[in-house]
Amino acid sequence: MNGYVEAGYVVGLGTLAAYAASLVVRERAARRRVGAGTPTVTRPRQVRAPGDAGSTDTRPLPGSGPALDPAPGDSR
Amino acid sequence: MSLTTTTTESGTTPARAGRTGGEPPSTERAAPKPHASGRGRARPLADVALSAVGACALVGVAVTVWLGLWVTPPDRFMGNLVRLLYIHPSIAWVMYICYGVAFLSSLAFLWPRTRSLRFDKLAGASSEVGVVFTGLTLVTGSIWGRPTWGTWWTWDPLLTTTALLFVLYLGYLTVRRIPGEPEVCARRSAIAALVAFVDVPICYFSVLWWRSLHQAPSIADPVTGKTYIHGSMAWTLLLSFVSFTLVYVWLVARRYRLFVLAEREDDEGLAQALAERRAESSQVRA
Repeated sequence: MNGYVEAGYVVGLGTLAAYAASLVVRERAARRRVGAGTPTVTRPRQVRAPGDAGSTDTRPLPGSGPALDPAPGDSR
Repeated sequence: MSLTTTTTESGTTPARAGRTGGEPPSTERAAPKPHASGRGRARPLADVALSAVGACALVGVAVTVWLGLWVTPPDRFMGNLVRLLYIHPSIAWVMYICYGVAFLSSLAFLWPRTRSLRFDKLAGASSEVGVVFTGLTLVTGSIWGRPTWGTWWTWDPLLTTTALLFVLYLGYLTVRRIPGEPEVCARRSAIAALVAFVDVPICYFSVLWWRSLHQAPSIADPVTGKTYIHGSMAWTLLLSFVSFTLVYVWLVARRYRLFVLAEREDDEGLAQALAERRAESSQVRA
């Protein structure tokens, strides 16, 4: 093989890898800024009092954690 | 799922529903039953799917590299330089997918019945990935052209229109950054995407319309369907197309999520500023 082939693969795949890594890093930084936590954590929506079983109030209690992110494809 | 649900859950993000004209304000929606909306399950599923796509893309690209560099035989005419063609056409193919998706998303945004900012985000994500792939198309093609044609660059119709694509979509990404109301920005960007897309068919068909140094599509005959490459070379090329398409899906999904997070960040900043302003005004009254 000659140097052109190797150069093409290194440039092509290296650029894609660098771009992918930059997206991951930027997403983590953005999550930290908005306090969203990791997307895979399922947070309990509400802690109810024992006598409150029939309530339809779904507001989160203070300090119940961050909201989950919308999935890719969610509208906002 | 809309931001309305996010508002219900977090209580901190201001409602954006209604901005795009198709969603009612959050107060008009019935409150979701706890653990009944499937939201808690949907997120991990989306992440698992995205991780699976990423893993498949990684494995596919790795196998493509292995096959392309070490397994497939050298070409009768090009020798080892043919190995560059296991990545260059695939990257160009993804470039067309990127701009096609951006075009369709922009159309969907401009169409009143399907107007939603998610299409704007999808167009933005796909275009940004498209610019990366266009740059790589130019660079890998140039690296192949130097030993094959004897020059790094020539003003061939295909090369020129591809370079024009690169500049046009860089311009589109610049237009996206012009500040303004989200809906106005999205409409402006969608129109820019439609204008930029005009160059895509010109680029694709340029090798057929004009006498070009670049070869015409040579994987298969478009009329008879007869393929010109066979065996391990054909399978490697096919795998390369599939793998780079999966890379595209993974990158666009990641970029889309960044748009969503940036939007939420803006919303939270706005909500915080409003809260501070209210606190100031109540202090003044007191």
